[in-house]
Amino acid sequence: MSTENNLAKKKRRSQNIAFGIFTATSYAIVALLFVILAFIVVKGIGVISWEFISEMPKNGMTEGGVFPAIVGTLCLVIASMIFAFPVGVLAAIYMNEYVKDGWPKKIIKQMTNNLAGVPSIVFGLFGMSLFVNKLEFGDSILAGGLTLGLLVLPVIIRTTEESLKAVDDTFRQASLGLGASKWETTSKIVFPIAFPNIITGLILSIGRVSGETAPILFTVAAYFLPKLPRSIFDQAMALPYHLYVIATSGTDIEKSRAMAYGTALILIIIVLISNLLANALRKYYGKKVKMN
Amino acid sequence: MHKIESNNVNFYYGENHALRDISLSMKENTVTALIGPSGCGKSTYLRLLNRMNDLIDGTKMTGSIVIDGTDIYGKNTNVDNLRKNVGMVFQKPNPFPKTIFENVAYGLRVNGITDKNEIEERVVTTIEQVALWDEVKDKLKKSAFELSGGQQQRLCIARALAIKPSILLMDEPTSALDPISTSKIEELIYELKNKYTIVIVTHNMQQAGRVSDTTAFFYMGELIEYDKTKTIFTKPAIKQTEDYITGRFG
Amino acid sequence: MASHLETELGKLRSIIIKIGGLAESQVAEAVKSVLSEPVLESKEVKKTENKIDKLDVKIDDICQSVFALQQPVASDLRFIISAMQISREIERIGDLSMSIIKLTKSIKEKHELISKFDITDIVRGVEDITVKTNECFLNMDENTIEEIFTLNTDIKSKSSDAIDNIIGEMKNNSKTVVSGTNLIIALKHFERIADHSTNVAESVYFMINAKTIKHEKFTDKK
Repeated sequence: MSTENNLAKKKRRSQNIAFGIFTATSYAIVALLFVILAFIVVKGIGVISWEFISEMPKNGMTEGGVFPAIVGTLCLVIASMIFAFPVGVLAAIYMNEYVKDGWPKKIIKQMTNNLAGVPSIVFGLFGMSLFVNKLEFGDSILAGGLTLGLLVLPVIIRTTEESLKAVDDTFRQASLGLGASKWETTSKIVFPIAFPNIITGLILSIGRVSGETAPILFTVAAYFLPKLPRSIFDQAMALPYHLYVIATSGTDIEKSRAMAYGTALILIIIVLISNLLANALRKYYGKKVKMN
Repeated sequence: MHKIESNNVNFYYGENHALRDISLSMKENTVTALIGPSGCGKSTYLRLLNRMNDLIDGTKMTGSIVIDGTDIYGKNTNVDNLRKNVGMVFQKPNPFPKTIFENVAYGLRVNGITDKNEIEERVVTTIEQVALWDEVKDKLKKSAFELSGGQQQRLCIARALAIKPSILLMDEPTSALDPISTSKIEELIYELKNKYTIVIVTHNMQQAGRVSDTTAFFYMGELIEYDKTKTIFTKPAIKQTEDYITGRFG
Repeated sequence: MASHLETELGKLRSIIIKIGGLAESQVAEAVKSVLSEPVLESKEVKKTENKIDKLDVKIDDICQSVFALQQPVASDLRFIISAMQISREIERIGDLSMSIIKLTKSIKEKHELISKFDITDIVRGVEDITVKTNECFLNMDENTIEEIFTLNTDIKSKSSDAIDNIIGEMKNNSKTVVSGTNLIIALKHFERIADHSTNVAESVYFMINAKTIKHEKFTDKK
């Protein structure tokens, strides 16, 4: 009886220790995130104002706002998505729905994975030599958007593929069983079911694109450009690069330190908003397309 | 003449010899239950009947399966037509992410029926056929996911019946349902056999007893015994069958 | 959409009603053969007997498949169990009626004996009890069960009185020994018929109340 009690106690103690560690780790991560956020918020909140969001930089970027950088980042996000989303989704559909298992599929998969592992600065260099110089787009939103698009392509392909894979095979079989063709099955049944997850992947990659600095360095980003882009062949400012500039090589680094934190805060808010949006969308569509 | 006739069917998943020399014939307008432990080949056999196994890479089949006098693995067989004639219902209710109406109408649309009135009429009669009409008539435009599991499964049966097949394959159609829904589906199967030839895979031997006219017992890829359900359940000829249905399987 | 099991049970019920009706008419024939001219195993009676046997087998068959295929529970289960018991009892009633009809051939002086010992009352009672039993099953009527039990007790005591009297008569008049013995056997058969009817009533009681009342006195049974 007493040995049983001892055993139970022992078991409970080791369980408490293990769970204690897990709990501590989880809270530590959350705490760390809050520390970073709080640090940036505290440092940056002072400069955030309507003017900061809506005005051009002034006085060698030590005053004024970051409006052109926000617009530039949005333009880059849109341009990259217009390129990467259709290409990535179609590639994923092809790989998941059409290609039979075998070495060609394996090679494509491996290549996609490799592409995901390429450092972003290399993408920047590649974008510069191909889009800027060879295709003569110049430093432009087009060149930058395409380069960013290439960067997130593997991400989009992979999330789309995972979403398609998550669609139960019996949906395909049921549709084919009714005499539908493969294309009808894919477009009318499989894709709509996978859509919420695909869209989530898309939005997460928007977060990624809006934060990248290296790929836009040589392809689009302007050091200082106190006007808005007019076409896709214009240069543009972008938040991450702007942040880099005013933090390292501005006219007066000390003076623009607050501006830098403000910019960082805006960037984080954009990423945060896109993540929240992703969640909300997934929930919204998830309700419509419940996989039970 | 038999509705479905299989002769010496062998089936391989790669190296795995999944079905061995299966010869099995089913009469028109009967319910045949396929029973046996997991991995015995019953589902594989079921999926041969509408060539669903074609979708799996690296499989091989020998022997012949003849439906309505035509070898469905023959060179001239149109798989789409075959699948239209052989409806299928799956283990988990899997309605499409569409409205209740569109779920049933889907099969009609992909088969080129565009006349609105015809589609509407066929959808309504089919939903009535599966005894679901009273429950859904006011929410045809709502998502099929709003239905209960049992209702979803009956909707899936309606979806399969809408394109007027003559054979209905059911792969453990009630294993994900509660007892009440299960008995409703079973009653439905009992009604449907007047019009269709039904082949049902089930893990539930009592269910096989309740719904089927003939029962085939599969074990390790072989057809051990095939007879009238009553005979299988009262005096099976083979010891293995007896051991399986009495739950004494070692 | 009536359930498959319900259809089977309905079939079973109508067969039991049918076999009960046949047995009832056999008993009526037996009564007739005792009270009036011996019916020399008319073809009709034999036919009915065959029908009863066939239906009995059929009931067993249906019960077997319902057990094997439908897993009856609760009231359905009781119904099937009772159906098997009832068909057995009814089949016995049929057999006994046949035996009585055969026996009556040998009772030459039966009219004398019958009028002397008031047998009419007894056999009419038995006829009555079989009719009541069938009604009891048909209507699932608990109230008739009590009547059936009273009737049975009544028949038993009257019959044993009659048998005593017949034995007395046989002692006095050796001529009556053969027909007297046969009459005693016939009476015993009638008693058995009443017993089997009572058993049917017990099965009906079990069906309704899920309680076994065999081997108990009815007064204790409630």
